[in-house]
Amino acid sequence: MPEFTGPVQHVELSTTLWLIALLPLLGSVTNAIFGRRLQKSHFGHDLAHKLHIGSLGVTLVAVGAMLAAFALSLWHVAKLLALPEAHRFLFCHAWEMVRIGSVDFGFDFALDPLSSVMILIITGVGTLIHVYAAAYMHHDGAYWRFFAYLNLFVFSMLLLVLGDGFMVMFFGWEGVGLCSYLLIGFWYDDYAKASAGMKAFVTNRVGDWGFVTGLMLLFWALGGAWLEGGSYQPDNLPRLAAVAVESGEAEHGGHEAGGEHGAVTAKAHDADGDDAVGHHAKAAHPQGNGTFDFTVLPGAKVYVDGALAGISPLTGKSLHAGRHTLRVVPGGGTDDLEIPSFSVEAGGETMVSLIGPALSFRSLHDQLVVRDAAGHHTVREGLQSKKAWGGVGVITLACLCLFLGATGKSAQIPLFVWLPDAMAGPTPVSALIHAATMVTAGVYMIARLSWLFALSPVASGVVALVGALTALFAATIGLYQYDIKKVLAYSTVSQLGFMFIGVGVGAYWAGVFHLMTHAFFKACLFLGSGSVIHGMHAVVHGEAAAQDMRKMGGLKRVMPITSRTYFVACLAITAAPFPLFAGFWSKDEILWRAFTTENIALVPGALIYAIGLAAAACTSFYMWRSYYLTFEGEHALPKIATEVHESPAAITWVLVVLAALSTVAGVLFGFSTHLLGGHGEPMLEEWLSPVLQHAVVSFREGGLGLEYALMALSVGLAIASWALAKKRYGAGRPADWAAREEGLPLFDAIQHKYWVDEAYGAAIIGPILKLRLVLADLDKWAIDGIVNGAGVVGRAAAWTSGAIDHHLVDGAVNFVADRTFAAGERLRTVQTGRIQSYLYGLVGGVLFFACLGYFLGR
Amino acid sequence: MGAPLVLDNVQSLPFIGPELTLGAGILLLLVWELVAHGARKRVGLLAIMFATLGAAGAQAAFALAHDAPAVSLFGGLLASDGFAHVFRVLFAFVTAVVALYAAPVRADDALPGKRSTGEMYLLLLTVALGLSFMAMSRHLLMIYLSIEIVSVISFVLAAFSIDDKKSSEGALKYVIYGGVASGIMLYGMSWLYGATQSLALPEIGARVAAMSAAQHGVPPVVFLATVCMLAGFGYKISAAPFHMWTPDVYEGAPTPVTAFLSVGPKAAGFAVLVRFFAEALRATGSLHASPWPLVAGVLAMLTMTVGNLSAIGQDNVKRMLAYSSIAHAGYMLLGFAVFSTTGTAAIVFYALTYCLMNLGAFLVVLALAEQNGGDESVGAFRGLGTRAPVLAACMAVFLFSLTGLPPFAGFVGKFYLFAALVRGGGNFTWLVATVGVLNSVVSLFYYARVLRSMYLTPAGASDAPVVVARRHTATAIALAVPTVALGVYWAPLYDLVARTVGMVP
Amino acid sequence: MAVDLTLVSFFALAALTLVSGAVVAFSRNIIHATVALLGCFLGIAGLYVQLSADFLAAVQVLVYVGGTLTLILFAVMLTARIEDVRTSNTSTGLPVGVALVAALLLVLGKVATTTAWPETPRAPMPSTAKLGHALLGDYLLPFELGSILLLAAMIGAVVLARRAVKRNWEKA
Repeated sequence: MPEFTGPVQHVELSTTLWLIALLPLLGSVTNAIFGRRLQKSHFGHDLAHKLHIGSLGVTLVAVGAMLAAFALSLWHVAKLLALPEAHRFLFCHAWEMVRIGSVDFGFDFALDPLSSVMILIITGVGTLIHVYAAAYMHHDGAYWRFFAYLNLFVFSMLLLVLGDGFMVMFFGWEGVGLCSYLLIGFWYDDYAKASAGMKAFVTNRVGDWGFVTGLMLLFWALGGAWLEGGSYQPDNLPRLAAVAVESGEAEHGGHEAGGEHGAVTAKAHDADGDDAVGHHAKAAHPQGNGTFDFTVLPGAKVYVDGALAGISPLTGKSLHAGRHTLRVVPGGGTDDLEIPSFSVEAGGETMVSLIGPALSFRSLHDQLVVRDAAGHHTVREGLQSKKAWGGVGVITLACLCLFLGATGKSAQIPLFVWLPDAMAGPTPVSALIHAATMVTAGVYMIARLSWLFALSPVASGVVALVGALTALFAATIGLYQYDIKKVLAYSTVSQLGFMFIGVGVGAYWAGVFHLMTHAFFKACLFLGSGSVIHGMHAVVHGEAAAQDMRKMGGLKRVMPITSRTYFVACLAITAAPFPLFAGFWSKDEILWRAFTTENIALVPGALIYAIGLAAAACTSFYMWRSYYLTFEGEHALPKIATEVHESPAAITWVLVVLAALSTVAGVLFGFSTHLLGGHGEPMLEEWLSPVLQHAVVSFREGGLGLEYALMALSVGLAIASWALAKKRYGAGRPADWAAREEGLPLFDAIQHKYWVDEAYGAAIIGPILKLRLVLADLDKWAIDGIVNGAGVVGRAAAWTSGAIDHHLVDGAVNFVADRTFAAGERLRTVQTGRIQSYLYGLVGGVLFFACLGYFLGR
Repeated sequence: MGAPLVLDNVQSLPFIGPELTLGAGILLLLVWELVAHGARKRVGLLAIMFATLGAAGAQAAFALAHDAPAVSLFGGLLASDGFAHVFRVLFAFVTAVVALYAAPVRADDALPGKRSTGEMYLLLLTVALGLSFMAMSRHLLMIYLSIEIVSVISFVLAAFSIDDKKSSEGALKYVIYGGVASGIMLYGMSWLYGATQSLALPEIGARVAAMSAAQHGVPPVVFLATVCMLAGFGYKISAAPFHMWTPDVYEGAPTPVTAFLSVGPKAAGFAVLVRFFAEALRATGSLHASPWPLVAGVLAMLTMTVGNLSAIGQDNVKRMLAYSSIAHAGYMLLGFAVFSTTGTAAIVFYALTYCLMNLGAFLVVLALAEQNGGDESVGAFRGLGTRAPVLAACMAVFLFSLTGLPPFAGFVGKFYLFAALVRGGGNFTWLVATVGVLNSVVSLFYYARVLRSMYLTPAGASDAPVVVARRHTATAIALAVPTVALGVYWAPLYDLVARTVGMVP
Repeated sequence: MAVDLTLVSFFALAALTLVSGAVVAFSRNIIHATVALLGCFLGIAGLYVQLSADFLAAVQVLVYVGGTLTLILFAVMLTARIEDVRTSNTSTGLPVGVALVAALLLVLGKVATTTAWPETPRAPMPSTAKLGHALLGDYLLPFELGSILLLAAMIGAVVLARRAVKRNWEKA
């Protein structure tokens, strides 16, 4: 009997996967090194001018890299499609960075259905936005720098989603943060913009702290437990275990395979030829043989029965049935790992898993789903039973910490404050980074770790509740904004909240679905607003004025394509009234799942549903408000009619494509025959099920009628909001609409974003600044006490005021530094330059060590 | 692996191929220096030098790559094992790089001070020979002889700058200090011989083990003898408090020589140190079994702290790098202090990375001083980021790497040193590790001064763009690229090192 | 009771060596120092004889006393103005040095006297043949390495010395 049985992840090897991420990196490096020269050169000058884009060379490099990456992504997804469902996992070991014990920080990439959705969005929408940016940024002097950053961002984002473990993901996680900072502050001459970049960066550090803490908690918890009194006792040392593979369907649909474990269903693919699992194993292996996979610890040498079987990862190795021994030499001077004896069954498949602390998602996942010989999920049960300090479940704590990381990156309460400010960056950046891709990283992470979050109803409840509150909160702030990009920014925060509702209540696929549709329609909206701003620059000066909706109006007549695409995207995001548009499908699925969920603790699903519904109604209102104020009615400035023109083709075509995607993606991926009374599943849910099936979740049976009723309710509310918006801001809006708004209740609070920034300033930033002063005083006092010299006092005072002027909390640092310098000065006097004193040092050294041994040792 | 194969004189010859090659190269250079003239002489010098070093390094690398079995040569005088091979390759590489620094540009050109390049090459090859023997020695007599070869030639090299008072003064101090240190070491060796009746390290090891077992601890006589020898070894690796010659000599000597001294003899000193403690004392990392971890830990802490703190206030970059090289000896001693194979692997790996970044840093100093009339102060670096962007970028890479920041090779090297240390376990180890980390932070202060001068201080009105010799730029890039590459993708090299550092049992 | 002559001669030789050594180190007159070096070398040669190293003793006398010292004497005599040597670098911190050395000697002496040194029977007196065999047999490599060391030292000496010659010539 193998030690363990379970539906562990099959792996197909791929050698080309890393190229997807590499291409944008190459583009970025090329533009970083040669971009300035390319831009100065006159290469393709006429063509570029004709297309209204910037330097042709730079554009070709950047967009070419993106196109190639997109094509390569499509090719890999096609490869994935060709595989049987349980095998849809491409794995690529690029290189090993460092190994400590059994934990390896390898550059390993993986592509499964979940990350395939992500890379298609990143490279697909990314390519469109690159094309758009070529036109949008064409006047900018640092055109090349912009594209170097933008490509670098795509590279980081691809690392984030393609990483096979926390390590690579974290590289990407930090990389996108860095690129976001660089791009928000792209026009760094403007102090406000540079500081908006800084705000995003600092806020994200708080989230990153949570991310790393959660990671460490999980890591430690897998390897040991905290005893009474706080000491840590390792109980699950890293080791290898042979697992008999069982087909992925066993736990499908979230059913605990509680009773079935007796029959080790290492699916026999011997005689009948009907095997969904071992397609690759079959032809090569005659009867009496089983297959053996070793895919953990990539790069390690694998010896089976003393003979070198290959270098990990290796799959589909044929072994005759019976007992074998395994020894693994990971290299790098670490100790060998071994399994003294394991068995392979005829026609069965045995895979080696790593049990114990791990950083690879696959290793984590595999050890949580395997069952030992007695049928227990040993590792999972062990993990679930562990309590951290204060009796909180470790899983819950770890999930909450990881979620804190997600709130930072995905702009949720309490860390959402940076995203609206991030709109200081160029509009393509807002579309790509702050709407379509980077901000969804948190959602992606939770979906990626679905099997972990599903184990903690409390953490899931918190995720859903925070998501719902953020959705409503941000939607209400969006109600009365005048800056068109701010409206969209709060809308993004709100929509991200919907995604978190989805992943919180257990409908992981719905969260990812909304992520996808949102990427389409929000990119379209942002780019539309960008097109408007681009046009408005002809009549107003300054960034703020060009984005102010009070100065627009009636743009429909001068920018027909932009207005039409914006209209379509508004239909998509407001999910009404035609259920044809993308947002309806994803948002409605999320709300329905929230209503029927059984996976969350702390809050009832119906409450989440109610909050979500209110947020959806607000969404409909502010989106239509922005549409009407911008495109309908009279021109606010008379010059608009003559001087504002439709944007160039590179911009409008991108808008059209995105609008089309916003229209069809919903039906295409989200429609199921279930709605017509059948039993089909939406296409995306089916596609994602191999990844998400091990998350143990369940939903109440609501009945088709109830589902239709709720659907009608949300559509009805959305239409009502639309009607209200149209009445207030539509083509025939009263001239004093702005003044009327100000009289509404809560207007003041909403205009000031509920004073959240001010509250943070008073509660956190202020005290830190005060602490700085206290520290500086303390410091001054310490120096005074020590030195007592008038000159030093003066110096310390001057130095203190300098610290107050320029630095944050560096008083303590300077103190240490000063002491260090002083010690260095003193030490330097020993080096007199006299050979006699050197020789005294030599003899003294001998004497010192002689005495050291004599008195201390022996 | 059974008992080591012990070979006698004639049978041993094939195994010291690299050393024989070096010897042949020395003789060829000697003759060529006398007979050739003009442009032909220059080409010939370069050809002999690099062919010799290339052949020597290649032979050692071949032995390394083919996992040649470890054997004991000349009846137990030398060891030919993976540990020695790694160092032999390293020495050939270092010597070749330094030879490149000192290479004559034109036919009648010579080093600063009109000294013939041929003589310098001759001396460099002889040191390389001595270094190789140091790494292979497993016999006190061989250890002493090879250290003396290296020392004597180093004295001459340090005095190589004609008409430079600093150089002469430094060299004289070097001679006196080296003489005393050698004397103390020799005295310690004589004690050890008296106590164990043997000069061969394995036999000493056996006797010391027997004595220790009988007395329940390391006998005082062995301890004292070792401390005396430590003075000699410590002087070679410039470990505090045996480091005091270092700043004066490094500052005074011609920059290529300084670069060489800071890498070659230091690495060789570590080779001897590690082999001596492993074979003759059979040291282990346990604090209860012997005083060695304590001694090595204190030595490491002293060396790091003294090196780093003294480096802070230095204004001359060469002198600053001299102190920094002391500090780096301290970091390497961290790996030494645990007396384990992991520690040894970490030392060797660090020596490899350190050689890249330190040689590089000295090269930049050299290239810059060549242009501005020998100014080596921090001020000379001002605005280098705009005056010589490539050189400045390379320097930044070297300095970041020396500080130990990711993603540079120095970080990885330090990581393995600390990992080996922490793996040793125990409170004292943690103390040593903490001091090490604090020291790393301190080191940022003085490296950052140069960085600040290069990038944040604007160039003065009189500072023209630096025209750097193309070969210097090329060499700097050639050293900077692996410094970065090893910071990202080091697994193969570390695997190689970890696999091959085994010694003759 | 007969006085152990060996012991007496040992102490006499040790005293000769140490006292001459002290004169070398502390004498202000370089001629005195050089002559005292003679006594130091002779004393060491005597100690070699006592340790049954007859060949080594002979070499010590021939090479050091006969050759090296004569050379040094010549060099000193030929140097101009040996009388008024200007000491630019006075001995500093002599008490510190004395204290350090004394403490070190104390530790060394304590250990040396408390250690049970293994004793070996005295080797037969003519050791020349054994030495020859060793140098061309077991210790061939160190022998050759020694020659390389000497060659290198010679080259080094030439390199450094030629500088002075060249400089004088250039000045002329």
